[in-house]
Amino acid sequence: MRASLFCEACGKVQPPAPADYFAYFGLPRKLRIDVAALESEFYRLSRKLHPDLYARASAREQEWSTERSSLLNDAYRTLRDPIARTEYLLGLEGMHLEEQSKAATDQARETGEAKKQVVPPELLEEVFELNMQLQELRMARQAGEAADDQVVSDLQAARKNFEERLQALQAELEKLWTEWDEKMEQGEEPSPGSRPVLSAMVDVLNRRSYIRNLLRDVNAELQAAGPDSLS
Amino acid sequence: MAYSNKVIDHYNNPRNVGSLDKSSSEVGTGLVGAPECGDVMKLQIKVNRETQVIEEAKFKTFGCGSAIASSSLATEWVKGKTVDEALAIKNTDIVRELSLPPVKIHCSVLAEDAIRAAIRDWKTKQGEPQPAPATAGKTTA
Repeated sequence: MRASLFCEACGKVQPPAPADYFAYFGLPRKLRIDVAALESEFYRLSRKLHPDLYARASAREQEWSTERSSLLNDAYRTLRDPIARTEYLLGLEGMHLEEQSKAATDQARETGEAKKQVVPPELLEEVFELNMQLQELRMARQAGEAADDQVVSDLQAARKNFEERLQALQAELEKLWTEWDEKMEQGEEPSPGSRPVLSAMVDVLNRRSYIRNLLRDVNAELQAAGPDSLS
Repeated sequence: MAYSNKVIDHYNNPRNVGSLDKSSSEVGTGLVGAPECGDVMKLQIKVNRETQVIEEAKFKTFGCGSAIASSSLATEWVKGKTVDEALAIKNTDIVRELSLPPVKIHCSVLAEDAIRAAIRDWKTKQGEPQPAPATAGKTTA
């Protein structure tokens, strides 16, 4: 039994203590995790913490079990998802994406230098152009024009392209996980040696969010073009 | 989330949507993005070389209502200003004008980035030496 969740002597639920999600599951701050083991641990703890079990306990215990259960759910949902897990770790390590962007703008304003853009300009161009094309398609559709075969096959090709790039980014991210985990195993302090690895993860996630949105929009357009076009 | 009336107004009636001739020497183009949400914003200005006044501004933004409103407002604000005056616009001015909530502050940051990028592009075209961008290994002509 886990001392932090339950009293070692009597087994009663303990008040929530501030802990990160990794620590909550007794895991080190590593990014490659055994999701199956995480899941079974989640179910085991869920059963033990379920508020129904505390229906006859003191009001304080009821409250604690509710809080613990909800924290458990948040922790599990975050850690089981590879992207959410990575973003969460970056946050724990002080890499806040939005603050970085704002700080870069402040710096550009003060120095008069160009802001450090976080994604390559070519990617921005591509995203912009594809959005223009998607908007034209939407407008044509709203004007009652049916999508022709050429449009549908272009969209299908675009979808394939984005799916492949998402996979490539996932592979890139997993390589960085390994690098990070190795540093953790060597007991290296998170800073400053591991900063480049974390920055590289931010970079992958930034590019990924554009590709993910494009894929979502292309899929929506294919859906609108007709259910047959999706296959 | 509830948008402020000003955001809704700019969203429903965006000012200065469109594009200017990218290849013109009088036109500066800024294309910027906010990776947190995948937004992209293009802002273009047409500058009078004699007076340094921004005579025209156009934008096209793919993103949420706040991003569209921020860029719409940015084009309104830069028009009639000199390049130097436009460089003084801060994202916090946009936040205040549109009453943006904290989760939408990045939209105003994007608009400020777009103004700066467009002015920078225009200045480069005028042959003014520009500090090299901080992105890897790129230098401006």
